[in-house]
Amino acid sequence: MQPSDARRTPPDFVQPIPTGPYRGLNPTTKLVIAVAEALVAFTVRGWTGPLAVLLVLATTAVAARLGRRLVPFVIATVPLTASILLVNTFLFPGATDVILRIGPFTPTWSGLEAALQATLRVMAFAMSVAVLVLTTRPDELVADLERRGAPRGVTFVIGATVRTIPRVVQRAGEITDAQRARGLDTQGRLWRRVRGVLPLAAPLIFGSLNEVEELTMALEARAFSAAGRRTTLRVFPDGTGQRQLRWAAALLTAALIVLSIAGRLAFLP
Amino acid sequence: MSLILRDATYRYAGVGHPALTDISLEIVPGSVLAVVGANEAGKSTLCLLAAGLAPTTIGGELRGTVEIDGLATIGARPPELAQRCGILFQNAETQLSGTAATVWEEVAFGPRNLSLPLDEVVERTEAALSALGVEELAPRDPGRLSGGQAQLVALAAVLAMRPAYLVLDEPTSQLDPQGTQLVGSALQRLTQESGAGLLVVEHKTDLLASIAEECVVLADGKIVARGSAGDVLADPRLDEWGVEPPSTARIERAARSAGVQEPMLSALATRP
Amino acid sequence: MTDPLVEVRDLVFVYPGGVRALDGVDLQVQPGEKLAIIGQNGSGKSTLVRHFVGLLRATSGEVRVGGQPVGRRHVAELARTVGIAFQNPDRQIFAARVRDEVEFGPRNLGLRGAELQGRAAAALSAAGLEQRLDANPYDLGYSQRKLLGLASVLAMGTPLMVLDEPTTGQDARGVKRVEGLIDELAARGTTVVVISHDMRFVAETAARVVVMRAGRIVDDGPPESVFAEAHWPLLASTYLEPPLAARAGARLGLGSTPTDAALVARALEAGPRGVSRPG
Repeated sequence: MQPSDARRTPPDFVQPIPTGPYRGLNPTTKLVIAVAEALVAFTVRGWTGPLAVLLVLATTAVAARLGRRLVPFVIATVPLTASILLVNTFLFPGATDVILRIGPFTPTWSGLEAALQATLRVMAFAMSVAVLVLTTRPDELVADLERRGAPRGVTFVIGATVRTIPRVVQRAGEITDAQRARGLDTQGRLWRRVRGVLPLAAPLIFGSLNEVEELTMALEARAFSAAGRRTTLRVFPDGTGQRQLRWAAALLTAALIVLSIAGRLAFLP
Repeated sequence: MSLILRDATYRYAGVGHPALTDISLEIVPGSVLAVVGANEAGKSTLCLLAAGLAPTTIGGELRGTVEIDGLATIGARPPELAQRCGILFQNAETQLSGTAATVWEEVAFGPRNLSLPLDEVVERTEAALSALGVEELAPRDPGRLSGGQAQLVALAAVLAMRPAYLVLDEPTSQLDPQGTQLVGSALQRLTQESGAGLLVVEHKTDLLASIAEECVVLADGKIVARGSAGDVLADPRLDEWGVEPPSTARIERAARSAGVQEPMLSALATRP
Repeated sequence: MTDPLVEVRDLVFVYPGGVRALDGVDLQVQPGEKLAIIGQNGSGKSTLVRHFVGLLRATSGEVRVGGQPVGRRHVAELARTVGIAFQNPDRQIFAARVRDEVEFGPRNLGLRGAELQGRAAAALSAAGLEQRLDANPYDLGYSQRKLLGLASVLAMGTPLMVLDEPTTGQDARGVKRVEGLIDELAARGTTVVVISHDMRFVAETAARVVVMRAGRIVDDGPPESVFAEAHWPLLASTYLEPPLAARAGARLGLGSTPTDAALVARALEAGPRGVSRPG
């Protein structure tokens, strides 16, 4: 191999730079936008806050062509939104504008309005998380935050958490197999299955604890606790425009929160 | 320059009796020192001691000295030790950082932590991958490798640190015969090409017979035999120390005690 | 002729991701056999034995245990016939005391009282752990935890026992213990299936060796046959090598000698005639 053939940058499959509308934005920009959306949705009272955020989200979702992939996130909110709707519509304190009487139940318009607003807020929050998750790979975000100086421990925890889940799932599967092969009943009556928690949970926990110690040593042996910033493998594109957008989003959100708390936004529907 | 232990006695934190007593040995660059012994004899503790993880990272009390190229392990900072001596544990999966999306990034993890310039990180990563012949695993998810592949990747990740010394605790215990051979030849190449000094703990004495120059037997935390690998692995007392002799020695012993005569006896004892 | 204890016909298994782990396996395990399954990692050994107890269900083909098709029978039920000791004891051990760990399996099968304790004691004694009844399993070393894992499945007293890599990570004493344990099981009439990478151990403990490659069985016979020189190219294609005793025997023209004992015996016979092939 000639010296001139030697690679100087990581191969393309390492932290690939995303392309396309919205996806191509710098990871930190996407994060700031998501946080801003979530905060505005919850702190600006009435319909305006959530509706405005949902409008922005719809635009970005269309631009990034997310469409059907948002559905699982919507479905995930259903248990929460269903209970919000029921509780608020039927049990809103102090409301007297009854819609109709169904036996002992008295749903009210005020309650319904509050319920719908709350539902929209939850949806907006869920959607802002969804858009972030669907347009940004975790290591992309972690890498960019690291480049900007986020502490090594924080980025490690985020990265490791994401990757640990499949590993724990696989381990849990192995443990379940071993215990079932010893007669643990996981397919029979429910009460028998409840007794199976300890034989399944204990090896998972103790085994993991055992391995944490070894992992700590292995990481230490690879200079995990060395001082200084880790070498950046990939620089994700950024620009003045995006920087200004991030500042604008942050300032706008802060301003809206302050005004909302001070009651200055009561004029909004 | 070498990795040297002098009269080292080590006790784990909170334990009354020492795990290792009066250990003196030397790992010389470009050679392999084999360590054998029954389980619980202290082999894993010896690995931690040689790499400096004991007492620096895991605590405990050390009397005597452990020096890596002149740097005493007591009081040294873990990253300093990591740069001089790498360590590979038995279980490959628990050594992978769990934060890398690809094998390439897993191997680059160490050099990145040292804040090396990007082109050096890349060079070391590529070199380590090719030293173990696992270049085609580079884009794969480290969490989805077979046991043998994971062990090779873990070894590559340690090699990328370019340590002068490497301590390996049963590196082939979970591997199939092919995986065992791969690791064995990779280790030989390592000592020959980069002059690293290796300490290898193994039960597979056949493997050790083919790659080690020197050998040490541990029993109850003490060294009970030392010398050239050929001599030590032929010692008839291996059985009483809980060590399986290499196949050739075992066969020769069985043949001799059954009354097989020369020249058949020597013919049996020669490795094919 | 009695039914085979386990019978597998044209078994195909495809993992959800699409990996074809078993590609048409035919196998019969007769009561009382001592069988070893060898093959490279990924050849399908562990996948195959999981079908014996219902942890995996065939994609196509038939699996019969105890003369009856596996069908939808629960794992807990099949575990009465087939006991599996898995490779990693730390994915199984959960109790705070050795005795509780060993009693778990037989308790699930309905044993109580003196019979339960007797079974547990016998199993621990076979594994050499009778002194550690009240110890915490995590105070034992790895090799003893592995033996504890074996004892826990032994205590279930199933007609068939499968041991997945029982000797990895064991020192010489541990390996001897495992060999003794297998002899004892066979003496009791238990059918034993062992998965292992240790060719010497396989040659010495198994009466029948099954060789797997890429989800299929490619050789099946006693060690004398499977490790004979004529079969070496087949073994090489699975990245396996015969035990040293077999290689030495072939090199010296002593015939098929898979174990040390066989090699020494043939060497003694041949002794007076000298070495018949250049060494």
